[in-house]
Amino acid sequence: MSDKKLITMELEGRKIRVPEGLTVIEALWDTGHDVKRGIGCLSGLCGACTVAYLEKGAGKVRFGLGCQVVVTEGLNVIMLPYFPSRVAAYRLEEMDDPYSRLPEVYPEVTGCTGCRACNVCPEWINVAEMMKKAREGDCAGATEPVMDCHMCGLCASRCPQSIAPHYVGLYLQRASARRYPIPPNLEERLAQIRDGVYRAKWDEADALDEEGLKEFCRRVREEPA
Amino acid sequence: MYPEDLCRLIERVDATRAERLKQDVPRLTEAEQADLLKKYHPDYKDCAFRTLRVGPNKGERTTHEIADLLESFGDLDHSKVPLTPAFDTDVLVLGGGGAGVTAALFAGQTGARVLLATKLRLGNSNTIMALGGMQASVDRADSPLRHFADTLSAGKFAGRQELVRTMVEDAPEVVKWLLDTGVNFDRDSSGNLALKKGGGLSAARILSIGDHTGLNIMKVLKDELRRDDKIEISEFTPAVELTTNERGQCNGAVLFDLGRRRFITVRAKAVVLATGGSGRLHFQGFPTSNNFGATGDAIVLAYRAGARVEGLDSFQYHPTGVMFPDHMVGILVTEAIRSLGAHLVNVRGERFVNELETRDAVAAAIIRECERGGGVTTAGGRTGVWLDIPVLEQIHGAGVLRQRFRALFRQFMRVSINIVRRPLLIYPTLHYQNGGILIDVNGETSVPGLFVAGEAAGGLHGRNRAMGNSLLDIFVFGRRAGVAAALRRGENPGAVGFGHVHDYYERLRALRISSISKSPTLFPDFIVDKL
Ligand SMILES: Cc1cc2nc3c(=O)[nH]c(=O)nc-3n(C[C@H](O)[C@H](O)[C@H](O)COP(=O)(O)OP(=O)(O)OC[C@H]3O[C@@H](n4cnc5c(N)ncnc54)[C@H](O)[C@@H]3O)c2cc1C
Ligand code: FES
Repeated sequence: MSDKKLITMELEGRKIRVPEGLTVIEALWDTGHDVKRGIGCLSGLCGACTVAYLEKGAGKVRFGLGCQVVVTEGLNVIMLPYFPSRVAAYRLEEMDDPYSRLPEVYPEVTGCTGCRACNVCPEWINVAEMMKKAREGDCAGATEPVMDCHMCGLCASRCPQSIAPHYVGLYLQRASARRYPIPPNLEERLAQIRDGVYRAKWDEADALDEEGLKEFCRRVREEPA
Repeated sequence: MYPEDLCRLIERVDATRAERLKQDVPRLTEAEQADLLKKYHPDYKDCAFRTLRVGPNKGERTTHEIADLLESFGDLDHSKVPLTPAFDTDVLVLGGGGAGVTAALFAGQTGARVLLATKLRLGNSNTIMALGGMQASVDRADSPLRHFADTLSAGKFAGRQELVRTMVEDAPEVVKWLLDTGVNFDRDSSGNLALKKGGGLSAARILSIGDHTGLNIMKVLKDELRRDDKIEISEFTPAVELTTNERGQCNGAVLFDLGRRRFITVRAKAVVLATGGSGRLHFQGFPTSNNFGATGDAIVLAYRAGARVEGLDSFQYHPTGVMFPDHMVGILVTEAIRSLGAHLVNVRGERFVNELETRDAVAAAIIRECERGGGVTTAGGRTGVWLDIPVLEQIHGAGVLRQRFRALFRQFMRVSINIVRRPLLIYPTLHYQNGGILIDVNGETSVPGLFVAGEAAGGLHGRNRAMGNSLLDIFVFGRRAGVAAALRRGENPGAVGFGHVHDYYERLRALRISSISKSPTLFPDFIVDKL
């Protein structure tokens, strides 16, 4: 069928030969696994496809994204299930300063021992560092790297204290948005729309025929700001 | 890591960088652009399209891939589907991307019972993949009218005026809602929303959250869904058919439980279809930037129920899809890279188009360059041109790439390609469905009770969607559809049935069509043709 070179690997606990160059997900498909559950973007962006793998001769198990890890000779790999995590219930709009409430919302954060087992992030977030900042009350600092988190939950799966750093991060992220007042530029625009500042112009546009509309749009676009 | 032959070719890119920086590539005139599109843009390749013989859009043009799905019998055996609903709800939302989740949240707020069913895990969607940002006219120098004019112009005036107006007028309010929900859009030093410029926009209008805009919005909305216990979520249960009552109104859907491999019939007072786009149909063999579940299911479901579609002969091919390494083919390189001044470079190290032309024109120019021998071919047999990203470090200072494009940098460091030093090999990738199921300003289709929101909907973006308008679209029309659908909750949905499918199949038979297809597609077959 193909002149592709075959490699031997261990896939989901089964020794098997597959063509080289496939990703773990593709190797699973190729060998008859009907995987749907661990698949999302196929671009390394969504975190649905986490895998644990041991490379030939390596001493340490590594973690990664199955849609981006390419299989190699002697690789031993499994897909990981979506790890269960405690998620807190909270209502941000009822809190004055959500940052300061972190110890109530996620009390387990105080139990973090700094063991760094959570540093397995496929997006290279230094989770241990983020948790340290959260523990010490530097919430703004802890929030910064969270923007890269896609909630794959790998960090939580490694935590001996059953902390879910990705949910802690999400809480901080949502809290951070509520710390700022409404942006002045947005507020101004909302008022203008409410006050009907654009109404006359809309009426003008509505009355135009096709050619007129094109001309209208050209004018609007070229108007100096 | 690049193999040796590509490394040698990259030397040309490095050697010509300084010269190219001094060069000014002229913009295309209107006539030149029209000619370029006509000769090289995939939308103009006549042999890739055909005329539909059946249904509400009979006589209109669409791609063979869509026509094949619409002009065939689905493989669902309707006699095996239980007609007694397993669930009864007010609003059934199909699709767990940005549009679906927004519709569910707003329907839920009115007090309606909501069931949201989605194909994969909640949130696995094109929405989380949106990198660049979202449009909303909030700058002093901008206005909803400008946004309106830019959107219509980008769409070559094929978009519907009332839909565009609705989108641009709702935009600031939708931004406020997102902020209130806890979405942390980037701000500038005075607390204003930070705004970026985008291709074809006459003002700075792109809001973003680092280079992970969609993901960070989706994370928050998904979290918000958790707290509304009137909203039920059903994952891994794609919709495979809509149901209608004796009056032809849409009143539910059949879901397929992927785990149990069983059908579930859901009855509802109104249905919101928000199942996204169709990149995984790989039109004309193009690779795609879309997620695994983007198989255009909404088109099949709604068309059989009698809904009109619009603009399904127009797709967006994003100019910069990855061509190397093989396992990353089709993945998107964000437009922001070009906006900042990266060069497109052929095998000889020359620029061949002004990189700031609109997406369709840049895509066509790349195809032309490859067809006339300016491309670079990989061992995997794929051809593309270089996207000179390292040049940005010279224009904007060392460190800009690692700082502003963290996600992109990581994506390629994983395969030992350092974008600070190496160009990427790219070619247009199938990115967005410009058309879809025609909606009105409340998201309702020509079938009563059937609402559509997001990429599945049509009529808004004309023949080319402007950057950042899709994220906006899904929240504006997700909200409107959710609210309008919930208003139907007092109605009697009647009995669920497949009268519309039987009628549709009758018409196929009358045309002596007998082909059977897996429609809706649900999942692409083995995706990569590496074997
Ligand atoms: C890589 C990439 C980058 C992008 N960048 C930007 C950007 O910067 N700015 C911008 O404005 N736009 C961008 N877009 C476009 C934008 O992200 C999408 O068009 C938009 O998010 C679509 O939202 P949606 O909710 O309509 O569909 P999706 O987000 O795709 O959600 C559809 C959902 O429906 C589910 N589904 C599919 N079929 C079924 C079925 N049969 N039954 C039940 N559920 C089903 C899917 O699993 C998915 O969860 C980008 C798109 C991609 C792919
Ligand atoms: S499928 Fe999304 S990261 Fe792999």
